[in-house]
Amino acid sequence: MMEKRRGKMWALALMCFLLLNWVADVSSLSVTVTDVECVYEYVLYEGDTISGNFVVVDHDIFWTSDHPGIDFIVTSPGGNTVHSLKGTSGDKFEFKAPRSGMYKFCFHNAYSTPETVAFYIHIGHIPSDHDLAKDEHLNPINVKIAKLREALESVTAEQKYLKARDTRHRHTNESTRKRVIGYTVGEYLLLVAASVLQVFYIRRLFSKSVAYNRV
Amino acid sequence: MILRSVLVLVLLVGILSHASESLRFELQSSQTKCIAEDIKSNSMTVGKYHVVKPNEDHPLPDSHKLTVRVTSSYGNNFHSAEKVESGQFAFTAAEQGDYMACFWVPEHSPQITVTVDFDWRTGVHAKDWTNVAKKGQVDAMQLELKNLFDTVQSIHEEMFYLREREEEMQELNKATTSKMFWLSFLSLFLCLSVAGLQFWHLKSFFEKKKLI
Repeated sequence: MMEKRRGKMWALALMCFLLLNWVADVSSLSVTVTDVECVYEYVLYEGDTISGNFVVVDHDIFWTSDHPGIDFIVTSPGGNTVHSLKGTSGDKFEFKAPRSGMYKFCFHNAYSTPETVAFYIHIGHIPSDHDLAKDEHLNPINVKIAKLREALESVTAEQKYLKARDTRHRHTNESTRKRVIGYTVGEYLLLVAASVLQVFYIRRLFSKSVAYNRV
Repeated sequence: MILRSVLVLVLLVGILSHASESLRFELQSSQTKCIAEDIKSNSMTVGKYHVVKPNEDHPLPDSHKLTVRVTSSYGNNFHSAEKVESGQFAFTAAEQGDYMACFWVPEHSPQITVTVDFDWRTGVHAKDWTNVAKKGQVDAMQLELKNLFDTVQSIHEEMFYLREREEEMQELNKATTSKMFWLSFLSLFLCLSVAGLQFWHLKSFFEKKKLI
């Protein structure tokens, strides 16, 4: 009888444990933002750390100083702007959720040219001492494991950020290579064309139909 | 009615696609949103999607039902569903590439907004831990540590992958530099040869004309 109850308690503890630790974790997405693009995420507990990063993986558009970048705004369930980053081509963010509920993560693109933004959002929860006191199934070791998990998540987030930036660099490099080689070959062709035209023109100046004495 | 150009918002889940707990996004009528994910070869991937009901009691009208298609970058279809409210798919990626899951809602006169809840897990998080726990009757802590171990392994693999990509980029840059090097010699050669040809041609022309 005691065994059965203990078994049930373990199952319950496991469920609580899983619930406390596997908190919302959006996989990295890239959105082609023409105007506004929003993603919604539910935060279970107040005080959870919302962390993440985003990178603008622009395809063919060359980032000039004219294009200020995109804006990133996080809105709390109450409608207040919790976090905002303006005119950037990629950044990391981290803040504590002031309350639980549905948070809105929006990207704004001021220009009409669509930009592809790759982002990753992670909502992490670490059981605090208060939770420890409330729930007798929670061990201090569970807190440590949660902290370890969060640390690993931050490493994963950083990797995703690096991968996104690497993708962007790759695009830039490939586009630069194509353009440079294209322009160089074009330049040579123009050079040859210009010299041929020069020769024709000079020949024409000295042709019999035109009185070459006048040249 | 002019067919409204479908706003294909390509949601590229380009980067390491590890976990995904419900991601929510909104679809307008006759709008297509695609989520693509860069999945590594031989990794398991599981996806679940459902429409968030605006009204719990009433059944979902046809105009709110989704059409889903999951394809690989080579065009193979892994999952497709027409006018469904919810569904799921699972497959093992044969090769690395972008796998796309596209959602769209049929056309409707007053523009309606459908909220789709999509949960796509790949790699480490595709493993259904609750089942593992039930089957093996494993200690909760052991399970958690196992999960952490798998996560660490996947981080390690990802580091190798990033290193490879960096190497590829370095090779590309080296190739570009050497190409530019040879092209600059070519340009010098071209310039001199063009000038020489011009000179030679005009000289023979004038000699022919008996001007020189």
